[in-house]
Amino acid sequence: MAEPSLIANYKAVLLAELPLPLAEEVSDGLAEAYAKYLRLELGAEDAAQAAVSEFGSARSVVEAYSSASPARRVARALVVTGPAFGLCWAAVLITGKAWDWPVPIIARALLGGLLVASVLVLVIAIRAARYRTVRRSGTAGCVGLAVLDTSMITAAMTSGPGIHWLAVIAIFASAARLVCIARALPPMLA
Amino acid sequence: MKADQLKGHLDALLLAALEDGPRHGYAVMEALRESTGGQLELPTGTIYPALHRLEAAGLIAGSWSVVAGRRRRCYTLTGAGEDALLRRRADWRNFAAVMSAALEGTPWPNPA
Repeated sequence: MAEPSLIANYKAVLLAELPLPLAEEVSDGLAEAYAKYLRLELGAEDAAQAAVSEFGSARSVVEAYSSASPARRVARALVVTGPAFGLCWAAVLITGKAWDWPVPIIARALLGGLLVASVLVLVIAIRAARYRTVRRSGTAGCVGLAVLDTSMITAAMTSGPGIHWLAVIAIFASAARLVCIARALPPMLA
Repeated sequence: MKADQLKGHLDALLLAALEDGPRHGYAVMEALRESTGGQLELPTGTIYPALHRLEAAGLIAGSWSVVAGRRRRCYTLTGAGEDALLRRRADWRNFAAVMSAALEGTPWPNPA
């Protein structure tokens, strides 16, 4: 027997918005609920309506997944801790007179642009309702900050006149953040 | 009881629903509905992300099977989940005793 269009549409939204395993899991539960209401001798359309009412809208399920997504958790942590890293590196750049470092102007502009873009996509990951947007933005923000950290570590170790103790702190902080990002990425992409 | 009243307690409810053995997401919700006499007004669809969060925390473990041609994910309480459930129960008893003493004048349990 064909499913009522209400159930089919619900599953279609889940499939469009969520990774396949997540969509399959909720769809299985919805099918169970639908079967339960059929056993209670409701008609097919009424059973479908009752099952959908019990589950909440497909959009609310997607939003619940987005809120609980590892990408959002990581994005929030990176945005909250970001200013501390920024202060560390600002202190290094100012005390090390970074404007005298032999770093091409284009590289400086690229790094600045990368920082702004990374923060923007992380904010999108925190605020977006769509699961795929949260995951992609969170991943992009993580990669952006990883590239930025690696670049700053390299610049501090090769461009400055010597490694100041402030630079040591910033390098260790960025290295620690790189490790955290590397550990956070696999669950975000799963 | 509405979803916003359950904030902070959902994890304990889900862990308790898995105490008797493995269940899939919808069966977890049915078990909660049965044990509470249908008092929980929780949109069933939103418990799935909570189950994933508990799995990521290592408190439950999920595994796939195929039932009636559909892929189904069932969850089992892990050792860490059992410990967490015991702690949550103790916290809840303490919380309920404090609230009962404050709101209803129930005598505070004598530790002796």
